[in-house]
Amino acid sequence: MQLTYVLYGFGVLLCVAGIGYLAAEYVKYMSEIGKLLALLLTVGMFGFLGKYFEELGW
Amino acid sequence: MQVKTCGIMQSMRRNLFLYLALACFVGLIAIFVVDGYLGTYDTVYITAGERSLKVEADVWQRQYPTYGGPIYEEEPMSVEGDKGGYYMGANRDEKISFRYEVDNRVFSTYKADIEASVWHSQEKVRDLISRPISIAAFDKGELEWVVDNTELLPTDILPEQSYQYTVIIKRGEIERRIVVFINPAGYPRKY
Repeated sequence: MQLTYVLYGFGVLLCVAGIGYLAAEYVKYMSEIGKLLALLLTVGMFGFLGKYFEELGW
Repeated sequence: MQVKTCGIMQSMRRNLFLYLALACFVGLIAIFVVDGYLGTYDTVYITAGERSLKVEADVWQRQYPTYGGPIYEEEPMSVEGDKGGYYMGANRDEKISFRYEVDNRVFSTYKADIEASVWHSQEKVRDLISRPISIAAFDKGELEWVVDNTELLPTDILPEQSYQYTVIIKRGEIERRIVVFINPAGYPRKY
C-alpha cells in the first residue's frame, strides 16, 4: 500500500518536473510583459492553492 | 443552526480559494497562448527550381541550424556559430526566388527598413533589395526578389566544386541568414 503511494508521488513529481521544464522552455520566447504577468499569476495560483490547503487543515 | 451556517461559509471560503487558484491557472495558459500569438513574425518563402521551401518564423529562434533541400558538402558544416540559421541546397543554373513576409500581429503600425544582400566570405557581393515597409496592425507585408546563381558563381569555378553564399535579410536591427549551398554539377546523383 505504502509502495503504491510512493509510486504515485514519483509519478506526480515527474509530471510536475515535465510541465515545469516545458513552461521554462516556453517562457524563454515570451515578451517581458508576458513574463511578468505569468509570474504574478503563478504566485497567485500557488498562494490561493496554499490558502485552500490551509483551510482544509493541512 | 448557527454552526451549520458557519460550516457552509467556511466551505464556500475554501472553495473560493480553489476557484481563484484555477482562475490563475487558466489565466496563465491564456497568457501563454496570447503572448505566443502577438508579435511581429517573419517568414521566407523560397522557390528553387521545382522545390518550394518555407522558412517559418520559429526557425530564427532555434538554438541549432535548420536544413532544407539536398546539400552536398565535403567538409562538416559548423553548427555552434549558426544558431537560427537556415541552410539550403541549390543547383548551379537555378534562379532562386525569395518572398519575405512580415506578419504584424500587434495593435500598432509596424515600420522598418528591409535590406537583403548576398554575402560570401564576410564580404558583400551584391544588394538585392532595400525598401522601407509600413504594415498596419494585424496585417501582412511582403517583399520579393530573385537571385540568379549563374551570376554569383566565380568564372573560374570547376564543375566538381561546390560554392556557397549567404543571403542576409535585415529588418531594422534584426538579421536573418539563409546560407545557400550551390552543389557540384553532378549532385545530387541519380541511382
